[in-house]
Amino acid sequence: MSRESAPSPRGARTQRPAGGIRWRAWARHHRAMVLDSARRLLRRPLGSLMTMLAIAIALVLPAGLWLTLDSARLLDAELEQSATLTAYLEVGVGDSEAGRIEQALAAQAGVLDTRLITAAEGMAEFHQALGLRDALARLDDNPLPASVVVRPADPAPQAVRRLAERFEAVPGVDEVRLDLAWLERLRHLAELGQRVTLALGVLFGLGVLLVVGNTIRLAVENRRQEIEVITLIGATHAFVRRPFLYSGAWFGLGGGLLAWGLLTLGSDWLSAPVSALAASYGASFHLPRLGLEGSTILLCSSTLLGWLGAWIAVNRHLAESRPR
Amino acid sequence: MIAFEHVGKRYGGRFEALANIDFRVRRGEMVFLTGHSGAGKSSLLRLIMRLERPSRGKVRVAGHDIERLHHSQIPFYRRQIGVVFQDHQLLFDRSIYHNVALPLEIQGVEHREAARRVRAALDKVGLLHREGALPIELSGGEQQRVGIARAVVNKPALLLADEPTGNLDPQLSADIMALFEDFNRIGTTVMVASHDLALIARLRHRTLRLHDGRLVADEEVA
Repeated sequence: MSRESAPSPRGARTQRPAGGIRWRAWARHHRAMVLDSARRLLRRPLGSLMTMLAIAIALVLPAGLWLTLDSARLLDAELEQSATLTAYLEVGVGDSEAGRIEQALAAQAGVLDTRLITAAEGMAEFHQALGLRDALARLDDNPLPASVVVRPADPAPQAVRRLAERFEAVPGVDEVRLDLAWLERLRHLAELGQRVTLALGVLFGLGVLLVVGNTIRLAVENRRQEIEVITLIGATHAFVRRPFLYSGAWFGLGGGLLAWGLLTLGSDWLSAPVSALAASYGASFHLPRLGLEGSTILLCSSTLLGWLGAWIAVNRHLAESRPR
Repeated sequence: MIAFEHVGKRYGGRFEALANIDFRVRRGEMVFLTGHSGAGKSSLLRLIMRLERPSRGKVRVAGHDIERLHHSQIPFYRRQIGVVFQDHQLLFDRSIYHNVALPLEIQGVEHREAARRVRAALDKVGLLHREGALPIELSGGEQQRVGIARAVVNKPALLLADEPTGNLDPQLSADIMALFEDFNRIGTTVMVASHDLALIARLRHRTLRLHDGRLVADEEVA
C-alpha cells in the first residue's frame, strides 16, 4: 500500500517496507505456507504417510524406553522409601523383653520408626504368605524368632550399614538383615537404562533429522526452478525456506502423532501380561501411559526435529546457490 | 543508472567471459546489448542482477557499488529490477494471475492492492482475459508477455531482458520490443540483450556490441 502512493522507486536502493506492513505480510505468508505445505503433503498421501511412519518408528523405541524407565524410577523411589532393616531377636525372647529391645533400638540415633513383629505375628504372616496353614499347624512350637523392623532416617546404603552394626551390639539381637545389594543393583540398572535411552534418543533423533532432511531435499529438488525464479525476483532466504520448514514440521508432527498412537496401542497390548507378571512377584506394576506432559514433549520434539531437518536440507541448497 | 568500470569476469580462473567492460547507461535510457552467442551478454546481465560477482572492476547500479551489498540485502536490491528471460521462467503449477503476482507476494503486498496491479500489468501486455489460464495453455508469445507482466508488475526502475524474442517469429518479436519501448517511454531504464540484429537496427536505440567478452562498439543513435 505504501508503495502505491509513493512514486515508483527510482534507484536500486535496498529499501524495505515499513514495519507494520511488513509484519502483516509476514504473518499472512506464514498462514499461507502452513496451508500450502499441508496441501502438498495431502496431495501425496501415501508418500507422506511413509515418511511419517519412518519418523514414528524412529521415535517409538526411545520414547517407549523412556516411559518404562520413568515408571521404574517411581518404583525405585518407592523401594528406597521402604528400605528397612530387620533385626531378628534370639529365639526364646519373650514378648515383653522383645518390647524392651524394640524401645532400645528405637532410641538409637538415625532411626525413623520401628515395628515389632512378635513370634506369633511372624507365624501368622508366614501362614498368609505361603498358604501352608495345614503344614505349619502341625508344628508344636513356634520356630520363628520375634523381629523388629526398623526404618532408617537416612536410606543411603552407608548409613544403613552403620546402623546395622550398632544394632548387632544390642543384647538380645541375634542377627540384622539388610537387603541393600539388590537395591544398589537396581539403581545401577536404572542408571544404565537411562544412559542407553539417552544414547538411543540421540541416535534416533538424528535418524528423524535424516529422514526429514532427505524428504525435504527431494522436495527442494522438485521445486528447484521455482526457487530459482523467486530468488531472482527478490525472495529472501527466509521466504524460500518457509514452505519447506512447514512441510518438515508437518512431517514431524505427523510422525509424532503416529508414534503416540503406536505407544498407546503397544502399552495397551502389553499391559495385561506385564501386570500379571508383576502380580506374580507380589508387586503392583502397571505399564505407564504417556500423560499430558509426556505427549506434549513427544509431539513438540518431533515437530521441532522435522523443522530442523528441513532447515538443514534447505540451507544446504541455498548455500550451494550463492553468487560466486 | 548502470555503470561498469573496467569489469572483468572469469570462470574457473581460466575462461574469460568478460574483459575490461566499461560503459554507462543513463537513467531512462533504452539500450540493446548484442553479440554472438557466448559473447558475454548473459554474463553481463547476471552481473547487474548480482547473480554473479565481477572478478575485476566495479558494477554500480543507481550509484551503489553492488559488490558491497550484504547478501541479506540482495533480495531487496533485486526487487528494484524487473527481469525477462528468454525461456520466460514461468511457474507451471499456477495460473497466469499467480505468476504475475509472484513479485508482489514476495514483497508482501496486500491482496486487493496486488490484484489491482496484476490486472493492470496483464492489461498492459494484452492478456487480461487469460488471467485464470495455466501457462501451458498459452502460446510462446503469450507466455513471454506474461513474463514481461511479471517483470513490470512491481514498477521497477530498471528492466532487463535476456533474449526476450529468442523463440518468437518476427511479428511477435516486434510486438514484444514495442512493449519494452512503451515501458521506456514512461521512464523505465531498459536493457535488452538480443542477437536479432535486423530488429535492433529498425528500432534505433543505443546499442552495445560484445565480441568474445569485449565491448567492441557503443553506437548511440541520434
